[in-house]
This record gives sequence, C-alpha cells and structure tokens, in this order.
Amino acid sequence: MIRRLVVLMLLVGGAVLLEPLRAPTEGVIAPRSLFLFGILLLTADTFGALAHDLRLPRLLGYLVAGLALGPSLAGIVPAGVLEDLSMMKRLAVGLIGLLAGAELRLADLKERHRTILLVLVFEMTAVLAVLLGTTLLVQHWLPFLQGLEPGPLFFVALLFAVLLTVNSPMVTLALLTETGARGPLAKTTLSVVLLADVVVILLFTGAFSLARSSVAGTSEAATEILFGLMREMLGSIAAGALIGAVVTLYLRFVKRELVLFAVVVVFAVAAAAEALHFELLLSLLVAGFLVENVAPVRAEPLVDALHQTAVPVFVIFFAMAGAELQVREFLAVWPLVVVVALARMGAIFGSSRTAARIARAEPVVQQYGWTGLVSQAGVALSLSVIVADRLPLVGLAMQTLAVGIIAFNETVGPVLFRRGLERAGEVVVS
Amino acid sequence: MQTTLTALAVIAVGYILAYLVFDRLRDSFGYVGGAEYIVIGFLLGPRVTGLLGAGQVQDLTPIVSLALGWLGMLLGTYFRLPTMALIEADHLRVAFAEACTTFGTALAALIGIFHYVVGYPWPEATVQAVTLAAVATLSSPAAIDAVTRKASQRSPLLPVLQLTARLDALVAVTAFGLILAIFHQGQVSPSVRPPTATEWAVINVAVGVASGVLFHLFLEHRGSLDEPEGSSRLFVALAGAIVVASGASYYLNLSPIYTNLVLGFILANSGGTHRDVTRLLLVTERPVYLALLIFAGAAWSPSSPELLFIAPLFVIVRLAARFTGGWIAGAVVAPPELRTPKLGRALLAQGGIAVALAVNYTQVRPDLNPDLILTATLVSVLLFDIVASRETGEVVDQATSDARRGDTSAPDPLAS
Repeated sequence: MIRRLVVLMLLVGGAVLLEPLRAPTEGVIAPRSLFLFGILLLTADTFGALAHDLRLPRLLGYLVAGLALGPSLAGIVPAGVLEDLSMMKRLAVGLIGLLAGAELRLADLKERHRTILLVLVFEMTAVLAVLLGTTLLVQHWLPFLQGLEPGPLFFVALLFAVLLTVNSPMVTLALLTETGARGPLAKTTLSVVLLADVVVILLFTGAFSLARSSVAGTSEAATEILFGLMREMLGSIAAGALIGAVVTLYLRFVKRELVLFAVVVVFAVAAAAEALHFELLLSLLVAGFLVENVAPVRAEPLVDALHQTAVPVFVIFFAMAGAELQVREFLAVWPLVVVVALARMGAIFGSSRTAARIARAEPVVQQYGWTGLVSQAGVALSLSVIVADRLPLVGLAMQTLAVGIIAFNETVGPVLFRRGLERAGEVVVS
Repeated sequence: MQTTLTALAVIAVGYILAYLVFDRLRDSFGYVGGAEYIVIGFLLGPRVTGLLGAGQVQDLTPIVSLALGWLGMLLGTYFRLPTMALIEADHLRVAFAEACTTFGTALAALIGIFHYVVGYPWPEATVQAVTLAAVATLSSPAAIDAVTRKASQRSPLLPVLQLTARLDALVAVTAFGLILAIFHQGQVSPSVRPPTATEWAVINVAVGVASGVLFHLFLEHRGSLDEPEGSSRLFVALAGAIVVASGASYYLNLSPIYTNLVLGFILANSGGTHRDVTRLLLVTERPVYLALLIFAGAAWSPSSPELLFIAPLFVIVRLAARFTGGWIAGAVVAPPELRTPKLGRALLAQGGIAVALAVNYTQVRPDLNPDLILTATLVSVLLFDIVASRETGEVVDQATSDARRGDTSAPDPLAS
C-alpha cells in the first residue's frame, strides 16, 4: 500500500516536472483532464483497497480519494476538469440505472411485497414528518427560511424534507456488487430503495411546484411547472419502455458485444434525454426492469455484461462524486448538518424496524433493514441542483445545507449498510 | 422532438442494415472487422444525426485515449523477451525484412505523392507520408488467428505470419511515435529552451519507460484475476495506468500508442503480473477496438475534394508495398522450407492499430489534413479487412500443401 502511495506521489511529481513542456492543444482535447482522470482512477483504486483492508466499503475509499484530490482539499483535480469529465459520470449513472432496473425482479417483489410496501410507506412518511418537524424547529438557524411568511416557509421546509428523503440506488448497488450479497436484507433494501426513488421524484415534483408558487406568489407558474415535471416523469417512463423494446430486439436478434451496446445505448439515451427533457436514470431503470421482467428474452447476458462494467463504473462515479464534495460549505454548517442527519437516521431506524416487524419480515430485515436506507448520493445531489437552479431565492442556501447532509449520509450510510450486511451474514465476498 | 426521434430511427435502421451487410460478408469472406460500428459512429456523429455533437465527440476523449493506449499496451506485451528468445532466427529475419521493406516502399511512394505531386514542403510531406506508411505497414493478426482456428493442420507459415504481423505493428508504431516527436507540434513554456528533435524523441521514450517502471511497482502484489472481481479491479488499475500514460503523452503532444507500447513491453518483461495483464488486455481487445471504430466513425468527415484522390491511391500504394515486402521477405530472405513469394497476400488485414494511429493523428496533428489521413485509413481498413481472411487462407493452404508434399524445391526467384 505504501508503495502504491509513493508511486501516486511520483506520478503527481512527474506531472509538475512536465508542466513547462506542455503544448497548448486546447480545442482538440483536454490533456490535463485526461491525465488527472487517470490519477483520480489510480488514487481511487488505491484508497478503495485501503478501505477494504480496514473492513470499510471500497466506495468510501473512492469518495475519500476524490475528496482528497478535488477542489475542496488538494485541488489537484480542479472544477474545470470535473466539468470536462461530466460525460463519464453520465455514462456511469446510465449504466447503473440499466443494471439497477434489471436487478429488480418481479418475483422478488411479489414474494416480499408486504415487507417492501410497509417499509416504503413507513420510512417515507416518518422521514418526511421528522425532517419537516426538525426543519421547522430549527428554522431560526436555517438561512433559506429567513424572512419567509408562514405559508411559503412551510412549503419550502417541505421541499427541503422531500429532498432529504431520497435514498441512493448507486450506493446500494455498489455495496451489493462489492459484497455479493443476495439474501433477504439485500433484496428488500434494493427493492425499497429503487421504488422509493420513483416515489420521491413524484413527491419532489409536487413539493417543488408548491414551494415555487408560494415563494413567487403565482399559481399559474406552479401549474406550469407541475405539468412540466409530470411530463418529464411520464416521458421518462415512456422512453424507458421504448429503450426496453430496442434492447429486447437487440438481445433477440444480435446479442453480440453487449458491453459496447450498453455504452452506446446510454450515450444515445443521454443525448435524447437532453433534447427531449426526460430523466436519464429513471428511463434506463424502467428499461432494465422491463427487459428483465416483461420482455420475451433472457436478460442474463445483458445483466452479466453490465456486472462486468460495474466496478469501473462505481470507481468513476464515486471518485468524481467525492471530488465534487464541498468541504468548506460543510464546515460552515456542520452543527446543523449533524442535527438534521441524526434526526433523519433516527426516523429511518424507528420506522423501518416497526414496518418490518408488522410485516413479519425475516429477523435480519427487522434488525438491519434500516442500515441500507441511510445512504444518499447522486439523485439527491441532482435534485438539490434543480432547486438551486430553478428556485434561486431560497435554493442556493438550501443547496449548501442539503449538500452537507448528503455528504454526511454518503459517507456514513455505506459503512452502516456494510456492517448490516455483515451482521446479517449476507456478505459473500469479504 | 421529431428530429431526435428521426435521428434515433436512422441510427437503429442504419445499424441493422450495416449489421446484415457485414454479417453476410462475415459468412462469405470470413470478414473479421467491425465496419458496422464505423457506420453507427458515423450515424451518431455530427455529420448525420448530430446526436453526438462535435463537443460530445470530444467529451469521449478519455474513452478514446483509453482505447488507443489499450491497443498500444497490448502490442507491447507481445514482446516478452523470454518468449522472443525461443523464436527461430529465420522467422525473425523474414518478419523484419517484410516489415522494413513494406514500410520503406510505402514511405518512398507516399513521400513522392505528398511532396512531388501535391506539393507539400518536406517536413509536412514527411509527417503525413510516415503516418500513412505506418498505417500501410500494419497487418492485423486477427485474420491469421481466424485461419489458424479454422486450419485442420498446422502450417509452418502460421507462426511466421503471426510474428510478422507483430513486427509490422512494432515498426509502424515506433515510426509513427518518432515522427510525431521529431516534427513536434506545439510550443513550450517561455521559461524553458524548446527541446530539439532528438530531445523530443528521448522524452518520448522516457515517458514510456518512466510509466512502465512506476506501473510495474503499482501493479505488483495485486490480487489474481481468479479472485472474485479480480479482473474488474485489475481493469481499473490498468485503465488508470493507461489513461495516465496517454494523458502524459497528449500533454506533450506525443503519441500515446507509442508510450503505451513501451509501458506494455516493460510490464510484460517484469514482475509476476504480466500473465494477468496480458490475459485481461486480450479479453477486452475486441470491445476496445469496436469502441475505437465507433469514435472514428463519429469523428470522420470527408477530406477536402482536391485531396480525396489520395485515399484510393493509398490503397494501391499499400497493396504494392505489401506485395513488394512480402516478395522480398518470402522469396529472397526466407529459407527454402518457408519460401512463399506471396507472403504479402497473407498480411492484407489492417485491424485496430491502423485505426488507432489515424485517430491519434487527428488528435495530435489537427493542423495537417487529419480528415485525409482518417479517410484513407478507414477506406483501406474496410476494403482490406473484407478480403483479408480469404487471401490469408489461400496462401496458408498453399504453403501447407507444399510442405506436405515435401516440396522444398520451390522455384528460386533469384536463380534465373
């Protein structure tokens, strides 16, 4: 390990030595971004192995590597480089969406539908209620609620609560891939997290339009936004069905070079999503689900191919997510972050245990089911960006706190879930 | 919305048609390329549907550089010295003679075309001629491997062909790497003296050697491919190593394929990881190659009309150079038991590294006819890859039947 760290330092040193020989090739490629992307990959791989040796999730190592090299700390990977590499992150999100959808099996959903539904309803209701209550309770310390009338204040607080109700399909899938867990805890968590993702996007649509209309004082704009977001949601599902049909045809008639096919599909869908305004992750999730559960073809070859890409994709996604974490903003609001994050965790703990008990789920689900619902990552971050962009009056300040809480959950959540899987005896690959 | 949907439909239909056409060619000619991926790249790219705009094509640079470096590294791992030491001297002589003669013939013809016909000054003519001569020299082992798989009997010619294909690639990539260093493009910081051509050539090698030594240390003591997720983890480390080495080359406006060739050579000859590294590179070669074809298709744009004649001319030059090189090596240099005057016919396939060199050229020398180089390469790769397997099969069958008859009295072309 020390040897690898020394090599990494030598690589960075070598880059500094080469600096004066740099040729200006802007407009053709971004050589600096490329070089630093490689350093980021190698550092993430090294830190991932280090985390694994410490019996922590590898993805925590990837996050720490990104954080260490990112603009917040060392600044070796500046913000411009992350922007240059945004396509790579989109590719990672798309591939994981497709894999996550294909991992959601109808048979599993049917078998444990009672547990899944109860945990989903209890957890979301409790988290929403507790976060709303906590937000209203500490409103005097929250900059984005200052100066708001009671009506707008309530709706903005509700929006904040909904934003933090989101789970992380990426973290869940990354940990399940890393540990090889396939037991009742793994299956229940994955189903709850994926379904919750869809429900939260619907809730977010409603909460966002209410908050925006109350802050702006116009109901017309709210209806327009609501329709826009609903169209986006339904469009994503329709696009997912279309992509599912294309993937099915490919699996039926061609069935070759599946990794490459998946990458091309993600790129094409990403381009179409941008042009037609639908959600990349949701559409691919729907596509994966339909191919696995509805299509008259065997989806295993595709799922196997996607599993082959999973580890590199997770390294890229989490290392870049780590590099995007804002340490300074977190430090400025850390007491609030800890209060809200602990309140959320408490709500998840109580509600999911209660729901699992009522559903008479397996003891491991009753005991450790909550550990898989703490993590937050990409989806929550993208929703916070939407709030900051489209509701700038309160959104920018809200984003600062939300990103701090998401960072906290992104760090603590995977550790908890791995411990939960270990104690449940579901870890296959140690 | 309609435009995007139309674009998606065009891509889907285009891909299916290309797939069907090339599938037929696969059945009829034993075609081993992946031209349908060039078609899909072209359809996705800015010239047709624009789903991948020019900016987005550039965003793919990390994947493309990974693909370029991947192929360069794989080539480097072929040259493992303990294995090379077991190769018969006659085989090496034939292979080197073929590679050097083909390169020399193609270079002479192309310099003539670029300098005397088109009228470029010497430096520009040399850079373009060397690049295309390197592309012409390349011969893909894919067609030979396909014949080897099909062959019922082991022909004595097959190991010579496999070795020749690898030495062709070595000569081509080295020449290409050196020419980019010698006629280096781009300025350095005002605080340092601009390096001379020789210094750039040394820097070029030094980047590869330094990367090789560092990544030898980095990859040592990793888990084996047989461990759970071992290949995925090795993939990440290798991808990181290749992207860093390629990034350093791009940083200096040099060839990442050459840098990674040196890196692969060092990894293959040091430590205990070489088997895992080579196995992983081989397993992933095809998807990497196809990804490169998609990118090449997306980045492709017809060159200026007045220079378009160079593309078909290049195909003729390659054919002539290949036959000349094959004749010199197979008829003059080869010992009687390996005598095959039509050796060049068996080495027509060009394969992935040819496309990699052309794509690399477009990135490093965008100022000097990048579209022409890419067009000529793609035309040549498409044409030769279609006929290569059949031609290789015929030459190998002939050599096998000659060997079976014990016909060592093959006509000596120099006897008369």
